[in-house]
Amino acid sequence: MQLKAGRDGDDRNDSAGRAILMAALALPGLIGVAGAAHADSAPEQGSISLNYLDYRDWQPGLDRIKVHTPAIDVLAPVAGVWAVQASLVSDIISGASPRYHTAISGASSMSDHRVAEDVGLTRYFPQGTINAGFAHSGENDYQSRAFSFGGSLSTEDKNTTGHAGIGVSNDTINPVNQVVNDAKKHTLELMLGVTQILTQNDIVQADLGHVIEQGYLSDPYKFLDNRPDERSRNTLLLRWNHHFEGSDGTGRFSYRYYTDTWEIRAHTFAFEYVQPFSQGWTVTPSARYYTQSAASFYFDPDYDPNYGPPVPLGYVFGSVSSPDQRLSAFGAATLGLKVEKAVARDVQISFKFEQYEQRCDWRLFGSGSPGLAPLYARVLQLGIVKTW
Amino acid sequence: MHVRAALIAALAVAGVSGCSVEAVKPWQKGTLARSEMNIEGAKPETRFDEHIYTSREAAAGGASVGGGGCGCN
Amino acid sequence: MKAIVWRQIAAAWFACLSGIASALDAGNQAPSFDIAGRGGDVKLADYRGKLVYVDFWASWCGPCKRSFPWMNQLQARFGQQGLQVVAVNLDAKRQDADQFLSTTPAEFVVGFNPNATVALAYGVKGMPSSVLVGPDGRVLFVHAGFLDSDKARLEEEISRNLPK
Repeated sequence: MQLKAGRDGDDRNDSAGRAILMAALALPGLIGVAGAAHADSAPEQGSISLNYLDYRDWQPGLDRIKVHTPAIDVLAPVAGVWAVQASLVSDIISGASPRYHTAISGASSMSDHRVAEDVGLTRYFPQGTINAGFAHSGENDYQSRAFSFGGSLSTEDKNTTGHAGIGVSNDTINPVNQVVNDAKKHTLELMLGVTQILTQNDIVQADLGHVIEQGYLSDPYKFLDNRPDERSRNTLLLRWNHHFEGSDGTGRFSYRYYTDTWEIRAHTFAFEYVQPFSQGWTVTPSARYYTQSAASFYFDPDYDPNYGPPVPLGYVFGSVSSPDQRLSAFGAATLGLKVEKAVARDVQISFKFEQYEQRCDWRLFGSGSPGLAPLYARVLQLGIVKTW
Repeated sequence: MHVRAALIAALAVAGVSGCSVEAVKPWQKGTLARSEMNIEGAKPETRFDEHIYTSREAAAGGASVGGGGCGCN
Repeated sequence: MKAIVWRQIAAAWFACLSGIASALDAGNQAPSFDIAGRGGDVKLADYRGKLVYVDFWASWCGPCKRSFPWMNQLQARFGQQGLQVVAVNLDAKRQDADQFLSTTPAEFVVGFNPNATVALAYGVKGMPSSVLVGPDGRVLFVHAGFLDSDKARLEEEISRNLPK
């Protein structure tokens, strides 16, 4: 049974993507493109960046989602004390998704196109910054609008910087299968953090996040998916960059602790090592390990013998439940390699390859959810940046 | 509970270690000015990676604020 | 136990935040220096009687790169009237400074201070920093950073204090 109209909720929206964009705007000096300035003052140069993402995931016996995403980012300093940033992203999504657990039969196929834009403004002061931003994302069944506002303050020597941000978004969901109509979702995000320069070669940052979501939080394209209408999330993110004088390379380490009111707890460890070579080449291997517990209302693929899948044993109609693989307990690992080359004065190209695998028995601190097929993904990213 | 302990630890480390060694002077920030030493990564790459992970895992965010709700659930 | 931990953290933070280098005030005697230059030593004492614009810079500093063409103009415009721009480089490695100078010419005096003793003496707070030293050797003006909007004010301070 193939449901053309149905589609997986995954790629409907870019909340974290937009969240990162907002973060990019909320956190000063976040530029990361070639020739960018340090956090405490406006960037010296403007830049334009073109990127292309090619994503594919699958499980044994089923090719799942394919995504192609061209994107453009522009950054421009203004009058030495302002920075304006804008992006345009176009996701072309197609493929199939299980309607419950990792069941191949009945997987819904879909194709969709999502366009997202965002703009942000940062004002630089001698000892701090203020920023504001707006983001919009639109596709056939999901519209989202978000605003963010934040600021930072540094000590006189600029070795310690505190920052805070707030974000608000309003989403409207109109799934093509019409299980709901004009459903709303509201999100409030708060963040507090501190950056500390420890040595000439070390910088650390700690960020605390608190998010409250209210409204329609279920996945309308999955069977028996009925989630609570509220979710609070807390995160603690610790990051450290260390430059090795011997090799001239830089290690970038991060750890994130995540917990939410759906009883999910997750740990994320990530590491990358940036190694410059002569002639403008840079090679960056990366690794990431992730583990999560299951949501309290996630149910395993133990189906009722009378009703059959996806109905679980002892199911009470109308109760809170979900067969979504993303809410199960599992561990996941990513290995990646990025190669960059400065090709002309102020132009840099980059190529990144990542391989991702998700398995229930890779879970740490507990057992993984049984009965789910592993998930594999392959990611390619191409980019070119020009600064002026 | 764990978050509070971790926060105290993070602040303690940041505060104490930042002071127990000589504070870094303005002219010593050449290495820190390199793009790979920026705590945030390159925006397009970070956006792509974060979008993929929030679409396939339950945890989301941590580095940012303000993005919309998650259609990713 | 907990109270002690909090007090220690607070004390460490306070010590950290209050440990700021002492600034150089207008009216103080500008600290003397004697450092290597591009052709012979660079000594502040040699410029007694001139209006000296001492600029602290490094190769990795973006605003420094922007300030060099302006300082070239200053030297050309006010040199006859007694202005001397003296740019003190603070790169740890001389080759980084030389690389910078090969693409960003400096038509004024450049001195090299890799161990940053002069920067410490002058209480440099940001990169770049500039100190205007009068003909009598006293500090007239201290400025950190370099925005395009700073140029007019700096030029005004300079033209007001020219010896001729």
